[in-house]
Amino acid sequence: MSAGSQPALSMRGSLFRKNFITALLLAPAALWLVVFLVLPFVAIAIFSVGERAPEGGYQAALTFAQYANLPARATAFWNTMVLAPAGALACLLVAYPVAYYLALRAPDRWRLILLALIVIPFWTSLLMRTYAWMYILGGRGIPALLAYVGIEDLRLINTPGAVLLGIVYGYLPLMILPIYVSLERLDRRLLEASADLGATPLSTFLGVTLRLSLPGVMTGFSLVMILLLGEYLIPTLLGGGKVFFIGNALVDLFLQSRNWPFGSAIAITLVLVSVVVLTVANRISTRLSGARRVDLI
Amino acid sequence: MPKSYRDGLPITPDKFVDQLMRLKRGSISRRDFLGLTGLGVATAVMARELGIMPTQAFAAENLGDRMSIATWPNYHDPQTFENFKADTGVAVEVNVFGSNEEMLAKLQAGGSGWSLFVPTNYTISTYKKLGIIEALDMAKLGNFDGKSEDSRFTAEGTIDGTIYAVPKNWGTTGFAVNTKKLTKPMSSWKEFWDTAMAEGDGRAMVHDYQLTTIGNALKYHGYSFNSLKQDELAKAEELLLKVKPHLFAVSSDYQPGMRAGDAWMTMCWTNDGAQLHRDIPEIAYVLGKEGGEIWTDFYAIPKDAPNKPAGYALLNYLMNPKVAVKEHLANGAPSTDARVNALLPKEVLDNPILYPAADLLKPLEFGAAATLTDPGRAELMARFKSA
Amino acid sequence: MTAVPDIEFRAVTKRYGAVTAVSGIDLAIPPSAFVALLGPSGCGKTTCLRMIGGFEQPSEGQVLIRGRDMAGTPPYRRPVNMVFQQYALFPHLDVEENISYGLRQARPRLSSRDISSRAGEALAMVQLAGYGRRKIHELSGGQQQRVALARALVNKPAVLLLDEPLAALDKKLRTDMQIELQNLQREIGITFVLVTHDQEEALSMSDFVCVMNGGRVVQLGQPSEIYDEPADLFVADFVGKTNLLSGKVAGLSGDLADVALADGTVISARKRGPLSRGEAVSVSLRPESLSLSAPGNGSLKGIVRNRIFLGSTAEYAIEVQGIGSLLAKADHVIGQGNLFKPGEPVAIGFAAGAPLAFPGPKNNGTNQREDQHAEILS
Repeated sequence: MSAGSQPALSMRGSLFRKNFITALLLAPAALWLVVFLVLPFVAIAIFSVGERAPEGGYQAALTFAQYANLPARATAFWNTMVLAPAGALACLLVAYPVAYYLALRAPDRWRLILLALIVIPFWTSLLMRTYAWMYILGGRGIPALLAYVGIEDLRLINTPGAVLLGIVYGYLPLMILPIYVSLERLDRRLLEASADLGATPLSTFLGVTLRLSLPGVMTGFSLVMILLLGEYLIPTLLGGGKVFFIGNALVDLFLQSRNWPFGSAIAITLVLVSVVVLTVANRISTRLSGARRVDLI
Repeated sequence: MPKSYRDGLPITPDKFVDQLMRLKRGSISRRDFLGLTGLGVATAVMARELGIMPTQAFAAENLGDRMSIATWPNYHDPQTFENFKADTGVAVEVNVFGSNEEMLAKLQAGGSGWSLFVPTNYTISTYKKLGIIEALDMAKLGNFDGKSEDSRFTAEGTIDGTIYAVPKNWGTTGFAVNTKKLTKPMSSWKEFWDTAMAEGDGRAMVHDYQLTTIGNALKYHGYSFNSLKQDELAKAEELLLKVKPHLFAVSSDYQPGMRAGDAWMTMCWTNDGAQLHRDIPEIAYVLGKEGGEIWTDFYAIPKDAPNKPAGYALLNYLMNPKVAVKEHLANGAPSTDARVNALLPKEVLDNPILYPAADLLKPLEFGAAATLTDPGRAELMARFKSA
Repeated sequence: MTAVPDIEFRAVTKRYGAVTAVSGIDLAIPPSAFVALLGPSGCGKTTCLRMIGGFEQPSEGQVLIRGRDMAGTPPYRRPVNMVFQQYALFPHLDVEENISYGLRQARPRLSSRDISSRAGEALAMVQLAGYGRRKIHELSGGQQQRVALARALVNKPAVLLLDEPLAALDKKLRTDMQIELQNLQREIGITFVLVTHDQEEALSMSDFVCVMNGGRVVQLGQPSEIYDEPADLFVADFVGKTNLLSGKVAGLSGDLADVALADGTVISARKRGPLSRGEAVSVSLRPESLSLSAPGNGSLKGIVRNRIFLGSTAEYAIEVQGIGSLLAKADHVIGQGNLFKPGEPVAIGFAAGAPLAFPGPKNNGTNQREDQHAEILS
């Protein structure tokens, strides 16, 4: 009996040690999450049921007035709900062919270089890159060149097109990479099988390639879409502050009118919307690709 | 150490840098540094002459090696901060802002890190009320002379007899027009807004700033720039929403757009108007004859300033008329200080952008403190921007 | 010329850059046959199959399907279907959707009723009725294999191409599927072209075996021909087990050659290829053609080193001085205790006509064989 209990005891000991080590390994990440995600979120949640102090900021209260006031930013929400998916879609339309080329067509020796070229600009801050576009699209950039060939007074900057371009440019790698990964993992024999069964290249693309890359598409789409839900830099710089995203509303509420409670209520709502978007995207891609599990992000 | 011929020679560059580093680290005092580097005599003379170093407080306190200031874009002569650093060893980090609201938001949130900042007249009472600015210790500001200041511009820095802020410069808010693109002469806010929807379609800019954008829209109907009345604000909102689709941008950073020729007309502050006109003569600066804003920017020190000694030192340095005059030449806004005006060249004093005719100045209003914190105006601005 | 061949290769060469995968193959596959393309890896058999399927284009020559030149015809317009290695089933579709995939591509369109009834028949044919709504990943390897078959056959192809279809199955399942495939082919009556590196599979299933090596067809024939009358040393060694003995031609008479083996023994062997006196040759002796007896008679003498008793047969490894190890296979008759024990000396005999003499030393063939074993193991 005692011989039997001995291993059990030492097993419990090693199990404890294993758990302890696991806990130790997880601690930094957990601490990070608590300090930088959970605590701010709790703070924001508390602010959101408070009131704006007379000179701005926050004063304690328990009211849902801020949430009731959400319709005051309905336009900004609406703009975001239209422009974020539209921007993500535009990004997708540009990214897909690039990812497709990289994964299925590019010569092996070029693939890594091309991927690096896509990722390298990401090392510079988005602000810098967007400023660069301000100058490219501004009066001394492309319009100045066009003036040489007789096209005068063309305005590119501060147009919805400029914002869209900025969005596509800024978020392209985030869209390309997940699609690339899903296409790269695609079993080429499935494409041959499809052709063998009589499918034209187009129906092979629609029926097999596209369907099987949907997890990547949905990952990229939701990634870009969620970032766009909080975007404010690109519309400010390339849209001249005329295109007002919910992100811009947030910045203004915290930095201009200093209405922290209302800003917090909007932030909380935005988080909830993002969660819904993620969940829906996950459902759709799981259903369409027939995969058991989909890796989001 | 025996005397040698070297004793009479100036310090070598290597030695100088070495001593400078020691000074920066605080391992030697400033006075020792000046003595060791042979700069002592010269600096002392210069300092007396320029009035940099007349007070005991200055020399006695450790200024550290860095401080930061919050101010407006294109608002200083960068050389000023270089000179200050050369004199004191304190490097100045400059943060620029687009609106008083933004400055207030940062200070309210705490930990801004600024040791000096540049609020506009109408915000000072709020800062004082919130208790986030320092009652200035005038003993440390020997270069400031209240008697030489134009009292029209200094009043709001003093609350209940205590000085919380000293003026930097004053100015107006009008609009700049590229007269090559928009040839019709303009002289009113009515024309500004109407042109924005007609010849200037897609080429006009308004500030991303509730005070001036709403204020100048109110002027379209002849209401007070500072109005908080519901019906008047409603009319202003109506105008703003009507103009919005025709605008080039809603932004307080309008110089790049005007310079590149993308924008042809913009709401504009004196100093930007002067800079634009200086570089691109066809850009004119216009004051609306209905009125609009007149303002004074002040220097103030936050209560939580991390380096108050350096904040005071820089402020005192900036109050020196000889330093201030360079500032005014660089940024183009008129000074409140008679001592500075005395040093300004005639063509500056004659510049109508800086010093408009009295009848144009008369209808102008200083911003009212209430507009800063009024939720109604903030929400109106949000509705305008999101439309 | 009788019937038009289902598949015909005319001087087909396929090069990948500097590498020639298939070189100048001429081949005609008669209708309704079960043909195996057999060879070690890299012999060009898969390339040939892929050229029939349309996934590769010949660099030179023509591939014809039922008399029609297929140059420029993409895979989706060819009247053939393939069962891919590891099946290549669509993971996002269920079993029935996989099977009806080809039917849905048909133009003019088939009615959905037709599609589902044909898919149902195909499912029944591969004994998977009721599995239509299963996901692919829910099926076993054998079931996936059947789905792949049904998915190809449901389109009623002129020729069914099978690329190592049984490689992923375990041995028991493989044997079952071999029989099933043979039955299916007979039932449907279309040509099956099977690519395999497994000589046993090729011999057991097909009507014709096409042995390939180094991008060429080495021999085409019925399995028994290939086994009994290998065209060259490579085939002799690759197909089935054999003993290869080195020797020199000591004399020639008609179809026969006298070969002096390394230990000096001279045996008479049937000539395979032109030989001249004094030439180095390899003699192939199938294990089952050797007979063992007590020392005294027989041509060669040896000592039993190992014995592997397999029930119906027993295999012996016999050490012959000066020649090396020989493999012998003897039928075991119940009650006849004629089993030799390790260490026992034996005499080895063989039927006249059993030894085959091939030109050239033996190392080429044996090396290939070892490569192939390594490949199977990996």
